[in-house]
Formats: sequence, structure tokens, C-alpha cells
Amino acid sequence: MSLLELSNVRISLHGEELVHGVSFALEPGGVVGIVGESGSGKTLTCRAALGILPEGITVTGGSIELDGRDLDGIGAKEWTALRGTTISAVFQDPASYLNPSLTIGSQIAEVVRVKLGLKRRAARERAIELLGAVRLRDPAEVYRQYPHELSGGMLQRSLIAAAIAAGPKVLIADEATTALDVTVQAEILDLLRDLRRETGLALVVVSHDLAVVAQLCEEVLVMRAGEVVEQGTVEQVLHRPRHEYTRLLIEEHEAYGWEKYLVSS
Amino acid sequence: MPRRVLGLLSGRIAVGVLIAVALLAILGPLLAPYDPLEGGSDLLAGPSGAHWLGTDYLGRDVLSRLLDGSRVSVLGSVQVALVALVAGVVPGILSVYLGAVFEWVTLRLADTLIALPFLVFAVAVTALLGNGIPQAMFTVGIMISPLFYRVSRAATLAVARSPYVEAAIIAGASVGWVVRRHVWVKVLPPIAVALANTAGVGFVVVSSLTFLGIGVQPPAPTWGGVLAADLGYLTFRPWAPLVPTFLIMATAWACNLLADAIRDVSGAAGRTLLLEKERRRVAA
Repeated sequence: MSLLELSNVRISLHGEELVHGVSFALEPGGVVGIVGESGSGKTLTCRAALGILPEGITVTGGSIELDGRDLDGIGAKEWTALRGTTISAVFQDPASYLNPSLTIGSQIAEVVRVKLGLKRRAARERAIELLGAVRLRDPAEVYRQYPHELSGGMLQRSLIAAAIAAGPKVLIADEATTALDVTVQAEILDLLRDLRRETGLALVVVSHDLAVVAQLCEEVLVMRAGEVVEQGTVEQVLHRPRHEYTRLLIEEHEAYGWEKYLVSS
Repeated sequence: MPRRVLGLLSGRIAVGVLIAVALLAILGPLLAPYDPLEGGSDLLAGPSGAHWLGTDYLGRDVLSRLLDGSRVSVLGSVQVALVALVAGVVPGILSVYLGAVFEWVTLRLADTLIALPFLVFAVAVTALLGNGIPQAMFTVGIMISPLFYRVSRAATLAVARSPYVEAAIIAGASVGWVVRRHVWVKVLPPIAVALANTAGVGFVVVSSLTFLGIGVQPPAPTWGGVLAADLGYLTFRPWAPLVPTFLIMATAWACNLLADAIRDVSGAAGRTLLLEKERRRVAA
């Protein structure tokens, strides 16, 4: 049974359709990638699965099933119960996703305390454990630091630690590596891959960068203007693209990517 | 934050004055050398060894009346500030979370209260509910509460749309958690400023009302009441109104100074009136 299954999901703003039918199934431990330019509906699709669509935007067709449960019309309380424990997410720009006036540790410990019902001390230990699990070098030190004291890569690790604190089965990484420089980006991707292997976490990786998707994913969706223009395994989509837009993306990547310089030098 | 407020000279002065006023309110009635309600034969006397601040038109000792009246005056302003705080902050934060209907109703209520002239309204309410300090102060507190409503709502709105609140929601946070962890710390500094300001305003309002004879039954002494009595006999004791005026002004001024100090240390800087020396001390 799929963990997260979208079938023909349509998303609209006041009657105007923005996403015209997205379908994919995410198995436990699986990775689905969504690529496309900004405004193509990648993020809206993810937000629909998290139940945090912006005001006025609603799912108007299809169905989303999370862990065998239809998400259509479930209430705010049930959403709160699902988020964190079943599905979670990390985004671009980790600095603004952490409260600047609270320590990293307290923000993670809070999740553990509220969602898992741990006592204060146990929550602290668990939070430090999580910070270690995301490969922060000195977890106890990071625990008592404020966001402004950490680098972008460390912040993204902390954010991932917070996102997986309550043991979700699905993690959505929406442009999670975009704001980071290339070496840090590679480290975060490694981390996601390891988390997947160690904990069986299923991933939805959203990026405009083909390289990110190629490294991590098994199945890829290529989106453009709210439409899924191509869908299949990474092999198929990246090596034998059928749609013109996918080919364009790959060509551009080859034209502007680092591979070009590597070959020519 | 409290420690940093005390790091400022203005903060120390303000807190010092307010502690003195608080002590006056607690101990004042005990320190009064005479019964503040009992008249003597010596009417409208000037300062003397027996009556340091002289006597009023019924021969009552003015010092005793001021000392005894301090409790009512101070308690009144505290009550105003607390009523305004609770009646404003709670709906202010909730207006962001409880949906459009609650939001609309509270916004219109706040607008209505702002439109009413509060001194006049307080007079009207005491006429209805009976002439007592609690009624009058409760009314004034409600009239001032839109300030707290607006301030806390604005701060809540700003936080509610921030990415870190969204991250908390994705981590499975309920509204209660978001308010407790993220909203509260952002609402607190502007509220602390508003609270100190309101205590000052409340103080002036209590004095104004008691000056008008509203909120207390006549023989009971208050600072405003002493001032009112003094003003009637300027020909005999032209300097007399200065004493209660000074007490009222010093307290209100200390409240405002405290509000300024809180604002300065809570990072709402830019409009700071600090001296350069003090500013360096804050930075350090």
C-alpha cells in the first residue's frame, strides 16, 4: 500500500485551475521527484498534501490519500494530528523557518514534547539525539544556540531535525537545498539519502534542479504551468525524454551545468 | 528584559519613582499623622509644624489626606491597566485565529469604543452602576482596551504569517502551541510598553474622575479630590494645588518613562530618545 497517493489532483484559486491533475504514488522508503520552473505548481501540490494551501486556494478535484486515509474534508484537529507524525516538510531558506528568538534545541524539543508526549528531560535528550542524527558536529552545543549563530547548512540540518522529530513517514523537501552552496547542497542530499535508508523515510523532493532529482529519486514528474508533462523513472525521463519541455530542461542543464566545464577543461 | 530596563538610567529612575509610589500606596494610610476625615478648628492654615502641608477648608490635615488617598489613586490606575490588558490582549490574539466572524465583531467593537469619549462615558456608566472606584475604573479600562487589542492583534498578525510559524504548523503545532511559543514573545514587548503607558493614563484619569467627584464618595480622600478642594481656595493657599499636582504628574511621568525604557530595550528602536551614553550601555 502506498504511503502517499495523489490521483488526478486539481488545485484552483476562485474557479481558476492552477494545477491540472497530478498523480503519483509514494511507497514506504521511496523517493518521488518533482521538477519544473517556478510557478509550475510543484509547491502547491506539496502544500495540498500538507493541508497548508494559501487562503482561497483549494483542492477541486482528485484525491489525496495519506497512509491509507483520504484527506478530503478532514478537520483542523485531524490535520494537526497528522502533521509532524505522518507527514512533514522542509523548505528553502531555513533561516526564516526557525524562530530567531528561541534556541534551536527548544524548538526541536517542543515538537518532541507536544507530539510524542515526552517529559522535559527526555525531550532534551531526544532533541540532541536528533541533532546528532542530522550530522551536526556538536549537537549539545547547537542545542543551546540561536538560529543567527548557525550557518545556512547547519540551519537546514536543524530544520530537518525538527521536521523528522516526531517520526513522520513522509518528508517533503521543497527546494530544500536551493539556497545552499553546492558542497553543502551535496551534504544535505547525502543526509536525506541516509535518513531514507536508516529510517525508511519516504521522500518527495521538489526542485528546479535536475541534478538534485537525478541523484535522489526513483520516479520523476516534470511539471510545467500546472501540467505534468512527463512522468516516469529517472532513467526514462532524464535519458530518454519524450516531451519537448523535458528535453529543453536537460539541454539547458547540459549547456549551463558544471559538466560542460568539466569536459572542456 | 527586566534587567536590561534597569540598565538604563531612565529605567532606573522610572522604577525608583514607581516603587516609591507603591510604598506610598501601601504604607501611606498608616503614616498619616491625623485622621484624614476629621476636621479641626484651624481652617485653610498654611504649613506649620503640626500640619506640614496645612489644612483644607474643613480644617482637615492635607498631608494626611494625600497619604491616605494614595492607595485609592494607585489601585485605581493599576485596575485600569489590568482591565485594559485582559480585555484587549485576549481578543486581540484570538481575532487572528478564531475566524472571520469573531474578527469582524471585535474590530467593530474596538472601533466603537475608540469613538466614545471615555471620560464622559465613564461618568455615564458610574451614573448607571453606582458611584464607586471599581465601576469607574472598570469602565475606563474597557474604554482603553482597544489600544491593547490593536497592538496585540498587529503583533500577532505579523507573526502568524511568518515562515517559522508555518514550519511549526507543519511540525504539527496546534493554535495553542503557536500562540504559546511564537506569538506570545512577539506580543509581549509592545504590550509591556502599552501597559506602562496605560498605567500613566489610568492615573491621570483616576485623578480627573476623583477631581470631578466621580468614583469616590466625597469625604474619602484622593489625590484628585485634594486637588479639587485646593483649587476652590486659591486666594487663601495659592501654592496648595502644586503638591497633589506634583504627585500625579510624577507618577504619570514615571510610567511613561518606564514605557520608553521598555521600548528601547525591546528592540523597537529607531525612534529612541536615549542619550548616546545610555545607548552604548544598552549595546554592551
